[in-house]
Amino acid sequence: MESEKVLTFADQVRAIPGGEHFDVCYSCGTCVSKCMIQQKLEPEYNPRRLLRMVNMDMREEAFDSPTTWLCSACDLCYPACPQEIHISGVIGAVKQLAVEAGYKSPLETVVVDESLCSGCGICVMTCPYEAPRLIEKEVNGVMDRFSEVDEEKCMGCGMCVAACPIGAIARPGVSNAEVASQIKIKKHKGLPTLAVFVCDWSLRVDEDLDILESYPDNVRVIHIPCSGRIDPQMALMGLRSGIDGVMVCGCAPDECHFKRGNYVSTCKISLLDRMLGQMDLADGRVRFVQIGTQDRGRIRHEVDAMLSSLQEEVA
Amino acid sequence: MAAKTTTKTATSKKSAAPKPKLAFYWAASCGGCEITITELGMRLVDVGDIADIVFWPAAMDFKYDDVAALKDKEIDVCFYNGAIRNDENEEIAHLLRRKSKTLVAFGSCSHLGGIPGLANMFDIEVLLERVFDTSPSLDDSRGTRPKRKNKVAEGEIEIPKMYDHVRSLADVVDVDYFMPGCPPVVDQVWTVFQTILAGQLPDKGAVIGAFGKTNCDVCPRKKGGSGMRITEFHRPHEVELDQEMCFLTQGVICCGPATRSGCDLPCLTANMPCRGCYGPPDGVVDQGSKLISAIAALVDTDDPAKLNEILAGVADPVGLGYRFSLADSILSDLKYGK
Repeated sequence: MESEKVLTFADQVRAIPGGEHFDVCYSCGTCVSKCMIQQKLEPEYNPRRLLRMVNMDMREEAFDSPTTWLCSACDLCYPACPQEIHISGVIGAVKQLAVEAGYKSPLETVVVDESLCSGCGICVMTCPYEAPRLIEKEVNGVMDRFSEVDEEKCMGCGMCVAACPIGAIARPGVSNAEVASQIKIKKHKGLPTLAVFVCDWSLRVDEDLDILESYPDNVRVIHIPCSGRIDPQMALMGLRSGIDGVMVCGCAPDECHFKRGNYVSTCKISLLDRMLGQMDLADGRVRFVQIGTQDRGRIRHEVDAMLSSLQEEVA
Repeated sequence: MAAKTTTKTATSKKSAAPKPKLAFYWAASCGGCEITITELGMRLVDVGDIADIVFWPAAMDFKYDDVAALKDKEIDVCFYNGAIRNDENEEIAHLLRRKSKTLVAFGSCSHLGGIPGLANMFDIEVLLERVFDTSPSLDDSRGTRPKRKNKVAEGEIEIPKMYDHVRSLADVVDVDYFMPGCPPVVDQVWTVFQTILAGQLPDKGAVIGAFGKTNCDVCPRKKGGSGMRITEFHRPHEVELDQEMCFLTQGVICCGPATRSGCDLPCLTANMPCRGCYGPPDGVVDQGSKLISAIAALVDTDDPAKLNEILAGVADPVGLGYRFSLADSILSDLKYGK
């Protein structure tokens, strides 16, 4: 009888749905040039290298690599790959093996407060990564339903934090209280005040962030992991506190870092705008702008345009 | 929560002790809250045994002068239902506040403005025009409008001055407790009566006769799983509704996720989505915007054009999200100032 063949790392990755096609990679690095993670978050991030590690049986190195954990499957690299490799699928397969081997995600993930969680399942339906699920367990002798988040699947986008209707979900750094505490802007005589919620990924170059930071302090910049994190209640609280306008800045339609956050944000701002319209409140006080890869510098025009239209309201 | 605790009624108290005095009032409301109290049925007789009702315009013959004649704080507990729509509502709110030790905002209207609060979407002139000129059920070519003051045979009479917007009770006076519901469910009313009459008062400002989490906590329907999102919104009358699945998974907006539990789910049991009458749960300030935040996260498409088409299916976002809480919402604050 033939002795059982020892599976290589590459064999294992290949066996997982989505992990099949990495062999055809010829290491051109186009994926790296498309990826935002390397430039914005982690210089060591490199899908091309990870694919090589798989081929070269470098299991531990692959599991330790930030590439395994940080890929959010935005798939900007997918259409660019000349070999048509679904790279996020391969990375997902590596991550699955890493989790099975006991490795932990280095990302900040969300936490559910069971004293509030009502088990509605909104977070389950919202999450682009299937991280939360509903579980039943006994509390004080009664079976109750809660959301439980798989930390290895959670990418920390915060979409569920905003979607949770009772505020039971928090992510360190962008909990409701932490974001709310940043929305205060002092009144500026004759100048409109504007809160800009900017998604960590939408402004692709540092120069654009510098533009935002260069405004005087009647423009408050609040960083959120994804435009899908925006919470209409928070925007309204900002307006009630006297802020004249709220701008949410997210990725272009096909470029969301977290798959669907910008669509969620579009829906929220659209409905919020309609509600303000139904109340006959001034138009244009909330706005969602989508800045694409090709839109370098556009943020200045967007902010200026909003400030000047608010200026008319203020005057 | 204190309101959940079942307690013995005050029947065991010494008979010599003075009976606590109760008052009920209705302001801008439909009368449903009054009906809830009468639905206590024979239990109301028990209430009469252990307490004196000193004011209840809907059911008993009292005049405002009777209240004015009472000493300050002479009423032990006053249950005030209805929103503040006109100066009469507000005047009596101040009077009853002065005469009552404990003031309870009873029902959605006094708690959050309720259905009358929806009028805050419109300017007063638009409302009057609709009611007196353009309503399809009206046939009056003379353009009759009520006058504040009218001379009649007995002298001059004056009708209350309508305010430009609707407010909740707590917007005009200090309120001790809030009892939500349109109307509050009768068993919760009974529990609250017993609790209060037994002197077991919760912390001031508490929401009584309800729980802290949302309706989903107690809803037995099967919840949506990963990726179960909404590709088309339906209004309840447009589709055949499944009895066991969460309404949201059927594309029908249910306010349950943004609504405090405690009502025993009469609407959901009748296969209708929650309308939100118990108001926002603990920790939520603005019910409608939180509902929008949840609903928007469930819309499923990656085509911006389709997105607008789907959202057009949400016929009336304000009426949907704030059906009972518009007067107490940030939207009303923005429009009318706070």
